[in-house]
Amino acid sequence: MRRNLAIAIASVGLLSSAAPVGAHHAFAAEFDATKPVKLKGVVTKMEWINPHAWIHIDVKNADGTVTNWMVEGGSPNTLLRNGFTKNSLPPGTEIVVDGYQSKDESNKMNGRDITFPDGRKLFVGSAGTGSPDSKSEK
Amino acid sequence: MARILAIFAFVLAAIAADQQTPPRAPDGHPDLQGIWSNATITPLERPSDLAGKQTLTPEEATVYEKQVVDRNNVDNNRKEKTERDVALAYNEVWYDRGTKVVTSRRTSLIVDPADGMIPALTPEAQKRVQETQTWIAEHATDGPEERSLAERCLVWRTAGPPMLPGPYNNNFQILQTRDQVVIFSEMIHDARVIPLGGSPHLASNMRQWIGDSRGHWERDTLVVDTTNFSGKYSLRGSDQNLRLTERFTRVSPDTLLYEFAVDDPTAFTRPWTVQIPVTKSQGPIYEYACHEGNYAMVDILAGARAAEKKTAK
Repeated sequence: MRRNLAIAIASVGLLSSAAPVGAHHAFAAEFDATKPVKLKGVVTKMEWINPHAWIHIDVKNADGTVTNWMVEGGSPNTLLRNGFTKNSLPPGTEIVVDGYQSKDESNKMNGRDITFPDGRKLFVGSAGTGSPDSKSEK
Repeated sequence: MARILAIFAFVLAAIAADQQTPPRAPDGHPDLQGIWSNATITPLERPSDLAGKQTLTPEEATVYEKQVVDRNNVDNNRKEKTERDVALAYNEVWYDRGTKVVTSRRTSLIVDPADGMIPALTPEAQKRVQETQTWIAEHATDGPEERSLAERCLVWRTAGPPMLPGPYNNNFQILQTRDQVVIFSEMIHDARVIPLGGSPHLASNMRQWIGDSRGHWERDTLVVDTTNFSGKYSLRGSDQNLRLTERFTRVSPDTLLYEFAVDDPTAFTRPWTVQIPVTKSQGPIYEYACHEGNYAMVDILAGARAAEKKTAK
């Protein structure tokens, strides 16, 4: 029975391919719309992996302790094609992340909006954003 | 003078003929090899506000492209703290849907039926889909086996067969020999090996997620016939009886006309056909390696277990 139902769910997943964006997996199943999070942190690691890239940041808490958060982005292939590399977001870069926390309440969130502290968007091609034109960042 | 004109006409005809002749492989068939992109904003089905309109004028296409690109931009269309906002996932920078309509300026990729819409499902297919949706509502997070094939990194819905545009990584590579053609899709990782030369399909009891593809040449068109689907990989409601006929024609150095016909009498009330002019890409094509970092599967199930614990308290 379980096998037949698994077949069925595969079919519906494909049937619903007119969904708004069609990311690799259902973000609404992973992250919680009732838990919006906005964090400022320092990049400690960029996992340049598929199906989704993950940016790790250290966030300083009000009591002085530091919590490491993982931020989920999209497929790195798209950025590679636009000339970014795995070195385009070096450790130590300060970023601001706006998104939603994971439903299991671990320190994971989606990178719904990622900017630098001055508001410039990450990975969009102006100087200092890790763009191919910004040689110092590579 | 007449002789000079005749020579001039002959040269022009020779140039025109050369432009219409696709590059050839050593065996004399058209060379389809290379990396191709099917990124386009033209939808599979015709939008309701374009009902009855087959093609756009160049001016209309320019306006339409701007409208669709703006509408698709997730950064411009945010409604905070909603399920939809979570579903929009991440910044626009990660998406690569293309910004242009197809070069034919058709309003839908479906060219038959004439309304540009997928034909209605048969009553039994409607019943199957309804039962599936009901079941999903109750079991979607039971375990990894119940998640979609795409989330499990097994099969991607636009990788084919048939191949369709998706949100990003809309690239495929064709490799060609006298006896086989290989189509490698960037999403999700599939390399489809297609024997040429008239070999028969697998026995009917042998079923595969992406079917069994066999190819042959019809003049300058590669025709690929795919049957033996398992039904697990469903194209908008198709089942194991799907028969898919794909046609690849290199209509210009930079354009590959990709067509496919869907025939599944137990799922659709009539056959339907799609046409996508695919464009040559500079490449490179990248590995996707979906299993490599599929943390989301763990997160989705962990989230479901956490919710169950809360409910139990």
